Amino acid sequence: MSWMLKRGWKYLAMLAVSVFALFPVYWVIITSLKPRSEIYTRTPDLWPSDPQWHQYPRVLGEGHVGRALLNSLIVAGATTVICLIVGAMAAYALTRFDIPLKRVLMMLVLMTQMFPLVVLVIPLFVIMRNAQLLGTYFGLIVAYLAFTVPLAAWVMRGFLVGIPEELEHAARTDGATRLGAMWRVMLPLAAPGLATTAVLCFLEGWKEFMLALTFMNDESRKTLPVVIQSFVGRGDTDWGAIMAASVIYTLPVVIVFILLRKHLMRGTTAGAVKG
Amino acid sequence: MSHAPATIPAERTRAPRRPDLAAVRRAVARLTLPVLLLLPALIIIVGLVGYPLAKTIWLSFTETRLGDLIDGSGEWVGLENYKEVFTDEHLRTSLINTVVFGTACVIGTMVFGFAVALLLNERLRGNLLFGLAVLLPWAVPALAASAIWRWLFDDRYGFVNWALVNLGFSHFQDYAWFADRNSAYVAIFVTVVWQSFPFVALSLLAGLQTLPKETLHAAAVDGASSWQRFRLVTLPLLRPIVAVLVVFSTIWDFKIFDQIYVMAQGVPDRAADTAAVTAYRESFALGHYGVGSAVAVVLFVVLLAFSIVYVRLIGKEAQA
Repeated sequence: MSWMLKRGWKYLAMLAVSVFALFPVYWVIITSLKPRSEIYTRTPDLWPSDPQWHQYPRVLGEGHVGRALLNSLIVAGATTVICLIVGAMAAYALTRFDIPLKRVLMMLVLMTQMFPLVVLVIPLFVIMRNAQLLGTYFGLIVAYLAFTVPLAAWVMRGFLVGIPEELEHAARTDGATRLGAMWRVMLPLAAPGLATTAVLCFLEGWKEFMLALTFMNDESRKTLPVVIQSFVGRGDTDWGAIMAASVIYTLPVVIVFILLRKHLMRGTTAGAVKG
Repeated sequence: MSHAPATIPAERTRAPRRPDLAAVRRAVARLTLPVLLLLPALIIIVGLVGYPLAKTIWLSFTETRLGDLIDGSGEWVGLENYKEVFTDEHLRTSLINTVVFGTACVIGTMVFGFAVALLLNERLRGNLLFGLAVLLPWAVPALAASAIWRWLFDDRYGFVNWALVNLGFSHFQDYAWFADRNSAYVAIFVTVVWQSFPFVALSLLAGLQTLPKETLHAAAVDGASSWQRFRLVTLPLLRPIVAVLVVFSTIWDFKIFDQIYVMAQGVPDRAADTAAVTAYRESFALGHYGVGSAVAVVLFVVLLAFSIVYVRLIGKEAQA
């Protein structure tokens, strides 16, 4: 009995926090499975009486969500590839060489992560407009490099520091060139770091909203967050469709988070994963 | 001028110069590869961060409309835009909103996150599942979270009003959360805390798990209550992590954009807009790129101060 009193409230608190954390996600999923009449009701059911999947094919088709999904994948994917290469190169230089102003450089890299994007958006818009890149994948990808490359460099650096330099020296003593040592010794060891960095960069591209909203005016080029936002803004808000689109948008991120939760914490000091 | 003495100074200058040149050559050779490796990243940072930042600062001193923006012909107006930022009711309000609402979010996130961290650290049964549950909101992108909570707080069909009415608060029947700044902020506050507490909780949990058990045990043996142990042992030991998290959260909650843009758009007079949204709307919706830039620069300067603190804290931690 005293155990109940001493520990019981903690279990109760645990339950309450879990409900707070999980319920909104649960509510989105069941809203997306409810027929219209069960969504627009003053007495919502906690369980859909007759779950239906029709929202999903509907938003993927006519709602432009299918197209947006593809656009988001292209933009986030290409951003990841570029910033992984550029970021890994920079990180290698910052860990293995004695570069003047190294500390300053690293602090600068970290600082760029703190900038509010709104302070860059107007000139980036002008650059892309003058380069005729407004509304193109390439324009948005280049703009995304502004914040993903410093992130990639910072996170990769954290991983490279942990790989003993002696291994590389050993490979070079055995006759490998510097690049050969990098390729055959460092790369396999850095693979977990590269994977984590790739995921973080992908998520940045996947989640970014302001630049996509500014650059991608053409319906066929909008990314998922922009499409979802345009749904919310409409007068006759179609909540079933929005919730289905939100599930499609969120699901990949949730899967990645659960799989990589141990590694993701490492990227957080650069402001990576939050928000 | 005799020959002999002339050679002495010549020797004197040449002697250090020869290794000097070699040193330079060696330095160049040594730096070629790292510089080449760094170059793409540097070009991107200078071209896509440095230049735009300088350009926005310049724009903030000009009167720039869309046409001027494209051909770069904005008229220099000195501090006019900044004067407007601090005198115009709407612009000034957006700055105050940022500070007040941002601070509230930081406090809410830290307090709630700390409580959850302590709870996770209790190692209760079902802890693993609890950890996964806490992780989930963190994974939800800001825009999706905004849409989700906007729906939960819907005036007529939202779950929150339904639950509140059923709990006996009948004036929440059809309560329009987004018709007024303060109630809109309640809804957005819940959204922001929901999204940010997992990160704070899990970071603090990592810190809690490194605490020396003997110290806490000794305090317990000496008769300290659990509150005293928390306040006098746990909190001081966790201070470095707490400091980093507070500064970090402040930066995030002050530059908040997505949630406000989506959730506060129905609030009359856009009274709930924060600086980032105002800077954006002033520019792209109203075409006042100069004023918008000025708002952005003010936000930037405030965040720069926090960023410097943050970088110092992180630098200290990295050295330790």
